[in-house]
Amino acid sequence: MPGADKEADLTERIEAFLADLKRGGCGTGPIRGSGETARETTALLRKVTAQARWSSAGDLMEIIRKEGRRMTAAQPSETTVGNMVLRVLKIIREEYARSRGSSEETDQQESLHKLLTSGGLSEENFRQHFVHLKANVIEAINELLTELDGTTDNIAMQALEHIHSNEVIMTVGRSRTVEAFLKDAARKRKFHVIVAECAPFCQGHEMATNLSKTGIETTVIADAAIFAVMSRVNKVIIGTQTVLANGGLRAVNGTHTVALAARHHSTPLIVCAPMFKLSPQFPNEEDTFHKFVSPHEVLPFTEGEILSKVNVHCPVVNM
Amino acid sequence: MSSRGGKQKKGNVTSEQEEEEQPLQAVLVADSFNRRFFPISKDQPRALLPLGNVAMIDYTLEFLTSTGVQETFVFCCWMSNKIKDHLLKSKWCRPTSPNVVHIITSDLYRSLGDVLRDVDAKNLVRNDFILVYGDVVSNIDVSQALQEHRHRRKVDKNISVMTMVFKESSPGHKSRCEEDDVIVAMDSKSKRVLHYQKTQGLKKLQFPMNIFQHGSDEFEVRHDLLDCHISICSPQVAELFTDNFDYQTRSDFVRGILVNEEILGNQIHLYVTQDGYGARVSNLQMYDSVSSDMVRRWVYPLTPEANFTDQQGQGCTHSRHNVYRGAEVSLGQGSQMEENVLIGRDTSIGANCRISNSVIGNNCTIGDNVVLDRAYMWNNVHISSNVEIHQSVVCDGAVVKEAVRLNKQCVLAYNVVIGPNLSLPEGTVVSMHHPEEEEEDDDDEFLSDDQEVGHSKDKTRQKAFNPAEVGPEGKGYIWKASMDDTEDEELAQCLWGLVLNPDPESDSESEASEESQDHSRSVSPEIDDVNAFQLEVLGTLQRGLEENIVCDNLVLEINSLKYAYNITLKEVMQILTRVVLEYPFQQQGTQLTTLQYTGSLLPLLKTWSPVFKNYIKRPQDHLDCLSAVEELFLEQDTHQTAMVKVLMKMYQLEILEEEAILKWFSTGATNDKSRQLRKNQGLQKFIKWLEEAEDESSEEGE
Repeated sequence: MPGADKEADLTERIEAFLADLKRGGCGTGPIRGSGETARETTALLRKVTAQARWSSAGDLMEIIRKEGRRMTAAQPSETTVGNMVLRVLKIIREEYARSRGSSEETDQQESLHKLLTSGGLSEENFRQHFVHLKANVIEAINELLTELDGTTDNIAMQALEHIHSNEVIMTVGRSRTVEAFLKDAARKRKFHVIVAECAPFCQGHEMATNLSKTGIETTVIADAAIFAVMSRVNKVIIGTQTVLANGGLRAVNGTHTVALAARHHSTPLIVCAPMFKLSPQFPNEEDTFHKFVSPHEVLPFTEGEILSKVNVHCPVVNM
Repeated sequence: MSSRGGKQKKGNVTSEQEEEEQPLQAVLVADSFNRRFFPISKDQPRALLPLGNVAMIDYTLEFLTSTGVQETFVFCCWMSNKIKDHLLKSKWCRPTSPNVVHIITSDLYRSLGDVLRDVDAKNLVRNDFILVYGDVVSNIDVSQALQEHRHRRKVDKNISVMTMVFKESSPGHKSRCEEDDVIVAMDSKSKRVLHYQKTQGLKKLQFPMNIFQHGSDEFEVRHDLLDCHISICSPQVAELFTDNFDYQTRSDFVRGILVNEEILGNQIHLYVTQDGYGARVSNLQMYDSVSSDMVRRWVYPLTPEANFTDQQGQGCTHSRHNVYRGAEVSLGQGSQMEENVLIGRDTSIGANCRISNSVIGNNCTIGDNVVLDRAYMWNNVHISSNVEIHQSVVCDGAVVKEAVRLNKQCVLAYNVVIGPNLSLPEGTVVSMHHPEEEEEDDDDEFLSDDQEVGHSKDKTRQKAFNPAEVGPEGKGYIWKASMDDTEDEELAQCLWGLVLNPDPESDSESEASEESQDHSRSVSPEIDDVNAFQLEVLGTLQRGLEENIVCDNLVLEINSLKYAYNITLKEVMQILTRVVLEYPFQQQGTQLTTLQYTGSLLPLLKTWSPVFKNYIKRPQDHLDCLSAVEELFLEQDTHQTAMVKVLMKMYQLEILEEEAILKWFSTGATNDKSRQLRKNQGLQKFIKWLEEAEDESSEEGE
């Protein structure tokens, strides 16, 4: 039966995605392209919309919420997954409202006055069935996907406004967004970049080679030298893994150092983050936001007996 | 959409996606065929014992799945029903699993060899497969090793039979199992295994020289390898096991292949990885190491909070200092989880406890003032107050009452109760099964012992619980394992792994030397053999003199002695020379003057010259004889002048040729003493005379 087949196929894809999330790209470095994760999540959600059985928006939202919970449980540190799920839910709500009739659009705006006077929740339980809802939702998700594809370029287009000639810019580790940002500015301006290498994975090295290939003057410094060099830096531009609801960042290990140093020297700090990194979470529990991987990078396993006496941690991400 | 309908499920055995890639298969042996975990494994098969609150077989399956294995055959013998149930409920038997698991059970398996023979009989594997045990914990990426293996087989037309995966780790590392310690000699370029030997605590090891004569010039002898017990095998491995019925373990197989190399032409390679973690939980010591490594996140991404088995409610949160807490864990006031602790769900911990380096299972209750250090507790354990546990394992359902102290390396098996106010000495094993039960069950589906496990149990004759041992309210019997000295055990086996008694005399795997016809020095045989041979030759010559035996018969006797003691020709000749030259000393004591010595020696030389001539045929033999002569006279300083006479006589008897003597004289001076020897007047005159004689003979024309 093709229907059952498709469903099984869908579950299989979801399982594969979950398994992949759990394994978290341990071989390819600590942060596995959040852009790709976002894209895959959205594609998967689109598939769920297309193939799952639902009759009203409410059902669909339930299904998506359930899958979303599973996906976020698989790898809590990958917040982009949760972000995309939330965005898709919002799309569904919007499409639903549009299908109900554009005249009611204004009703959606919940002003404080309305909340007081309407006396309780409106009958928005999304139970109505609309014929074209599926197609609309899928179309909207496609739009979201195209938007995702273009984020890096959109950000890079604004580079010229922020970077001036003969400036010294500092960055940390490797961020594709920042890389594109700087490369775009380099087409018209001449400036100098200092990259902090970000041990133990040393992704700063890769960043520096990429930048220098396009002709930007680059220097790599060790993490310990960040504060020392900061006095000569005009701007700090960094990428991040997540932007939290209170404006805090969850970024590569070492970013905190850079931020503190910049604050001390009153250096402006710019964060380049595409929209799928914006998360509604608050940093309420200190510990759970940190991510540690195998200590192998810090102290290799072959070092033998010393291991039983020493605790080795290898943080990847912190606040 | 339409393309997805046509897409095959990856789990399909008869996959339609042919190309060159057949689905990767694996053979998982979920039984260890030994009793290292007795009596714990009496109730639960080893593959299902929890490591970090997850059954060990789950780790292995996860490792295989992440490598890309698409079909796994799990072979179970002991308690196969439990393993089957567990697997059917796990995520690997879901229809969406990328790895299809087939469970094959039989009560007749007694060793790894039997399993592989069954694999061959049932014709299960079509291609290269990965062979692992059910208690392997690893995150190594073997795709590189797989590629190398396949490449080798393609290039070399199926000569390479197996690739073993090892991890580089220094000797004495705590994750190295002492029983599995190996020394491997390998060819660096082709990564081929030339010699494989378990060290077993030996201080000296012997390597046969022929392994180093294989034409490559880079060898490594490595002791820094940790055996991960992961092998990539070709289909021939199964066939080879079928052909050789006495292959029981992988070591047998490796040794067999290496020994029979000339006949079969098969080779074994190895793959050494620096990254990644791989270890096998073969005894409780390893259980301790692997558990603590896992909690310290060495096996990332198989970490506790990842919940890779996808079980409901199994997830936990990870905090600083590697503290993992499951759901609904309650912690009393003042309690501290110091570091490297994993606590399962629904566990409650009392006040003022200190827990470090421990793993606690689900639904446990822990009282107040408890100190846990390197304790491994499984599910449903109840611990009362004021208890101290150090480096011990407490299995499901055990109850530990107040004020008990468990010292190191104790094991409390299922449902045991240890009474209040007791301190268990180190290494105690308590179980609800009476040690004597074992005899009755022998004809049941019990496993045969692995040949290295030789302990016999001292039966404590009691049917009632002994309060002195388990406390006033305790329940359980103490299992004592005693060493059996009558077997050839240099190693004391206990539940926690080896306690090595280093035995300098032990020589369990000495290899005899081979005949080497080239100039490399052969490994000297046992000293005893040489001495015995020498004595025998002396005896033969003596008898020859007394009974006037013909020289041919003497030659026959010496030849037979040579075979009996496995001596090389060169050594025969050297020893013969030595014996003859020492003969006068033997007969008449060492206080001879040179004159007397030569007086008695020269006729002897004449008598035995045919014997000499039989052994000295090639130019090299001449030189060897001369070096023996030289050696002897270097020792006998006082008689160096006699050397000239000896040489002269030998030359006259045509035992030695002038070219050889001249060559020896000009080239052989290796140290001061021999140089001095050559300065001897008589010798120089002799040499000069020889040279003249040679000139004359060469002038006469040949």
